[in-house]
Amino acid sequence: MKIELIEKIEGEAFLDVSCRQGKVRDAYVRFPHYRGIEKILVGRDPLDALVINPRVCGICGHAHLQATVRTLEKLAGFEPNEKVKKIREITRFCEMVQNHIKWFYLVVFDRLGLTYDFRTVHVMIQKINMLAAIFSGQWPHSSYALPGGVTCDPSQLEILQAKRLVQSVREHFVLLVGAFDIKNLSKDLKRLYDRLEERDLLYTGKSLDRFITFGSDSYVQSSKILHGKVRPAKLHNIREFGQEKSHAKGVTYKGKFYETGPLARTMLRGDLFVKQLHRRYKDSITTRIFARIYEVGTLLKKIDEHLRTIDISEPSYTPLEIPDGETMSAIEAARGSLIHKVCIEKGKIAEYVIITPTQWNLSNAKNGESSIIKKALIGAQCEATDIIFRSFDICSVCTTH
Amino acid sequence: MNREHLRSLFTAKSARVDTNKGEAYYKNLYERCRARLDELKKITPLRNIDIAQVLEDEGISRRDFLKWASATTAMLMLPASFTPLVAEAAELMNRVPVIWIELQDCAGNSEAFIRADGPKVDEIILEIISLEFHETLMAPAGHQAEAQLEDAVNNFKGKYLLFVEGAIPVGRGREWCTIGASGETFEEHLKKLANDAAAIVAVGTCATFGGVPAAAPNPTGAVGVMDVVNNKPIINIPACPANPANIVGVILHYVLTGQIPELDSLLRPKFAFGYRIHDNCERRAHFDAGEFVEEWGDEGAQNNFCLYKMGCKGPMTFNNCSIVRYNESVNWPIGAGHGCIGCSEPGFWDKYAYERPMADANIKMAPNGGVEKSVDQFGLGLLTAAGVGIAIHAVASAVAGKKSEGEEA
Ligand code: SF4
Repeated sequence: MKIELIEKIEGEAFLDVSCRQGKVRDAYVRFPHYRGIEKILVGRDPLDALVINPRVCGICGHAHLQATVRTLEKLAGFEPNEKVKKIREITRFCEMVQNHIKWFYLVVFDRLGLTYDFRTVHVMIQKINMLAAIFSGQWPHSSYALPGGVTCDPSQLEILQAKRLVQSVREHFVLLVGAFDIKNLSKDLKRLYDRLEERDLLYTGKSLDRFITFGSDSYVQSSKILHGKVRPAKLHNIREFGQEKSHAKGVTYKGKFYETGPLARTMLRGDLFVKQLHRRYKDSITTRIFARIYEVGTLLKKIDEHLRTIDISEPSYTPLEIPDGETMSAIEAARGSLIHKVCIEKGKIAEYVIITPTQWNLSNAKNGESSIIKKALIGAQCEATDIIFRSFDICSVCTTH
Repeated sequence: MNREHLRSLFTAKSARVDTNKGEAYYKNLYERCRARLDELKKITPLRNIDIAQVLEDEGISRRDFLKWASATTAMLMLPASFTPLVAEAAELMNRVPVIWIELQDCAGNSEAFIRADGPKVDEIILEIISLEFHETLMAPAGHQAEAQLEDAVNNFKGKYLLFVEGAIPVGRGREWCTIGASGETFEEHLKKLANDAAAIVAVGTCATFGGVPAAAPNPTGAVGVMDVVNNKPIINIPACPANPANIVGVILHYVLTGQIPELDSLLRPKFAFGYRIHDNCERRAHFDAGEFVEEWGDEGAQNNFCLYKMGCKGPMTFNNCSIVRYNESVNWPIGAGHGCIGCSEPGFWDKYAYERPMADANIKMAPNGGVEKSVDQFGLGLLTAAGVGIAIHAVASAVAGKKSEGEEA
């Protein structure tokens, strides 16, 4: 039997699954939409990328903006000061937080037939977006970051306003999900766990147990886990390949597939809660889902820390010339590592490549190597395909760009 | 060019917005609205929700609600006497079915509209409009979704407002982008749904003018809704993303009058796009005083000076961001120290992209040329005049230096 799952996730994705005796035998992912952003960038002034790239995605526009900025800065051999770094992290972490909360409730809870406190969820999203907008002007799509710094120059008053917002979001968050204590789950975490157990999904969706993260910031450092060992991850080992019947490219690291995203980040950071889950459930949907919501707490704490330690007297901007050349850099977006690669010749963009997190997680198998999504699906109950697929928090607009 | 001339150039009320149409006109309109609302009241609501009750449950007092209604009345450029009608219309929002589809896009407008926020009351009202179908939010999965969409169309033939997010590829991208299991192209999908709609609302710059997908060389041949559909009224709400307040405004106007709001030559509602960002910008006083940010992060930047010299496109951009702002009105791009990028103007992705001042902006035409041609003549004339005027002004101010303001004037 063949089933075709069409997911509407910020765009559209097709999942072709063949089943036998209720179990998944084979799976193939296709992305039907395409805009040609990489082609659009060719021949343009490098700074144009700051307007075009955030619009790759309506959810992780900050990450695309910052990936562009960091790539251009790297070309100029420039490292921003602490203030700039903190402001950029605050806005990017806000974006990750709002994404995770939406995904947790609007996707996971919804799919598992669980109810939730819609109003509080809404208020949290609203406040976290307001917090970002204090620095970024608006969310989604903004242009406050540029090579050399940021355009905003927050006053003490704005920092105070931001602190209040993050405080309030943290309070709401704890009220909703309870504590991340594996032996003592309560509230929404407990309800989720119980539902997974009830439906016999706790151990479902195990994949290759390989993790990779390319971005480095105050939250996580670029590295990978293969066979349980942590090693540095190098950008030049990344290869993209075309996939049949899909506008998305697949991507490997030294010919192997890796999972990126919150599960990878929390594993690499060694967050106890996630490690404990992993010990028991490996990289199943349980660990994957819990890791993402766990990350919200850590990121909120980071935002708060940054707001308390930021030195607003430092300059927001340092003048910068962008030279010709070629380089690549990565940044952590909500769904995992986002990689931008640019080649500038005679002051114009000669080539621009965007590799998104979903490409890592949803590559189809190649050359006998099983891929993350394929491994997660094969052998699973056919009814579970939807939740396994969704556990990766897919974004198709990013992926096809 | 002297200062007075400049001032008149930028303070001249845009001739296109007629905010006072005379007593007789409003009296007539009032009566029509009254009749319309009475008609709507007779219809059984699509979703049986008592909006007054919901607002109360959400902790919004009657007083707050009326405050919102009066602000919205003003936004819609109606006299204050319409406030009770606007409030009533808001309570009848669940009588008008809405279908929302996504084509070639980034989902940013849905994000801004439904999942992010808007001013508080807007957002609650949006939650209870009768969103019969939303491709990203509601569709459970492919085949089921298609059946659901078909149902919605059949049930509300000729009555629903069709919201479209995203561009339509009509060039080489036509075959690349298809919908659902049927494999329909975006163009077919849109045309089919447009046929049975009461009106179409194109949300965001992609759906209105092609947007970023249409940026040169426009790899997929992306165009806006008005380049594809010609048998239905179309309302364009450009901007990237479109402001939720303007989306609510359009729906509300439709509920209230049964008609689409007054539009400009680019089919944008005049209530939102009648003025330029520059007309109501909080940094405008600095523009008039010749105080500019000369470099990112300089003293001017720290003092919130005008961003024109850093490439602000506020003087060429028609939109109400400077009044409505974003994210609970907490801020907006110029508030964060970056000039307006003109994201609601046709062709911004090529014409304005990044901080090039207008004078040496390299205007690339989209290959199909369609969008450029439809630029409002008035706007274009003004834009050129403003471009020249400002360039001179900016240069003069740099020469004269900020201190010598007095003599310069
Ligand atoms: S910042 Fe832009 S919109 Fe505001 S006054 Fe200056 S030029 Fe006009």
